[in-house]
Amino acid sequence: MRGILTIWKKELRVYAVNPTAYAFLAVFLFLSGLFFFLGITLTGEASLRVLASNLAIAELFILPMLTMRHFAEERRQGTLEMLLTSPLSPFSLVIGKWLASLTLCALMFLGTAILPLILAHYGDPDWGVVATTYLGLLLVAGAFCAAGLFSSSLLDDQLAAGLLGIVMLLPFWLVSRAEALVGDELAERVSAFGVLNHLEGFGRGIVDSADVTYFAALTFCFLFLTFRALESRRWR
Amino acid sequence: MIEVSGLNKAYGPRAALRDVSFTVARGEIVAFLGPNGAGKTTTMRILTGFLSADAGDVKVAGFDVFDEPRAVRERVGYLPETPPLYPELSVGVYLDFCAELRGMGKAERSRRVGETMERVGLAGWERRLLGSLSKGYRQRVGLAQALVHDPPVLILDEPTSGLDPAQVAGIRDLVVSLAGDHTVILSTHILSEVEALCPRAVVITNGRIVADGSLEELRARAPGGAWTYVEVQGIEGRQLGGLPGVQVVEPLGTVDGWECWRVRAGADPREGLAALAAGGAFRLRALERRLPSLEEAFIGVVGREGTAA
Repeated sequence: MRGILTIWKKELRVYAVNPTAYAFLAVFLFLSGLFFFLGITLTGEASLRVLASNLAIAELFILPMLTMRHFAEERRQGTLEMLLTSPLSPFSLVIGKWLASLTLCALMFLGTAILPLILAHYGDPDWGVVATTYLGLLLVAGAFCAAGLFSSSLLDDQLAAGLLGIVMLLPFWLVSRAEALVGDELAERVSAFGVLNHLEGFGRGIVDSADVTYFAALTFCFLFLTFRALESRRWR
Repeated sequence: MIEVSGLNKAYGPRAALRDVSFTVARGEIVAFLGPNGAGKTTTMRILTGFLSADAGDVKVAGFDVFDEPRAVRERVGYLPETPPLYPELSVGVYLDFCAELRGMGKAERSRRVGETMERVGLAGWERRLLGSLSKGYRQRVGLAQALVHDPPVLILDEPTSGLDPAQVAGIRDLVVSLAGDHTVILSTHILSEVEALCPRAVVITNGRIVADGSLEELRARAPGGAWTYVEVQGIEGRQLGGLPGVQVVEPLGTVDGWECWRVRAGADPREGLAALAAGGAFRLRALERRLPSLEEAFIGVVGREGTAA
């Protein structure tokens, strides 16, 4: 438990002085402003519905780039050797890093908080829906950060790790519309793996346990794979 | 303190360690000596639990590295070949993080970090960013990281590589000051380092231990053994070789008109040579018994095994 906190604090310190993190943060804030503007002007609704699904796609591209550093860079610097020969458990290392990335995402979302405030100024948004939308986006972030950590644990080059992370996540986006496009039973099953389908409910103010389970399972799988990838390095 | 027996490790088809066994007693400083790629780093990584082994037993501080890795890691300080630093952190923050990894509380951390920085010569450097440090200071921070929890066992992988002579001397003094309370294994391919630091060396080449003992023992294993150095005038090499007891003479050149020779003999030839010179057979300026240098011993031991493998 203490190890997790130690790693979490260290990662946030490193993020705080990392120019790349700020660059991606800026891109994310820019995109959220753009999607917000388009959503409002196209639908004429005082809601974050359009924003949410578009931000999930932005997360898909940005979060692997924010997490690509983690293991690739530790390995290049030789610090992974230090961490893995300290009493810290690999479990604490993975969870600490994941929580730090998630904390960064939460701060990123906090930066977009101005958007619902603008809604409130001109309209009357449903605050419950706003809250569930953010919850959904945070669950997506958890899964995507886990995927980014996994790709980072596989490759030594951080940029390659970031791109691999994006490639690993793309199918989860692309299958989302399979059901709508094809409509047969296979397409329906395939699209059950889609991220957007599971996010949709949150955008309408519904927290479905199936959706929560989906994101939790995705996160768990990627974190578990990360853990195994770290362990396997001992056996090379 | 460290017991290694029958250690084997292969990277794919390439054997990195073959049946490596040695023990290190408490408080001892042992050098791991060998050419690059001999298996020094692999052995150290297994000792620290970073790598697994294919076969063999390793005990550090009484704990099995493979069964109780955590207990071992708590008792080992490890400096990898490149100091493991985060360029974006400052010296103070980094060492505090290292101490926290070792489970120390806040007060203990600040005390230990201060003491350790003092010890490795980093006092006053808390606020410097690691990324801005020179090679010598990076190495010091790496050492501080290994020492911060005051571990009974220290494993240092090439602690002086790439440093200037003054920095090397600083690190050596530090390592010597650690002897006694700490058991130290350090790897190097610099022989003078072994002479300066370690009474004992384990020579490893091609993943095999080819020699293990004091430096004197290692030297005695060099081909030819002890010899006698002479500087003479008024005698030719052939005549010198014909003297009673002398077996081989090898020319070593001339210095200010004096001829220098390496003389090998069955028994110590010094007394005989001195008596002959005193009798006026030739003029003698130097007469000295010499052991082979560590370099010669090293090449003797490593070269032989290297061709056999």
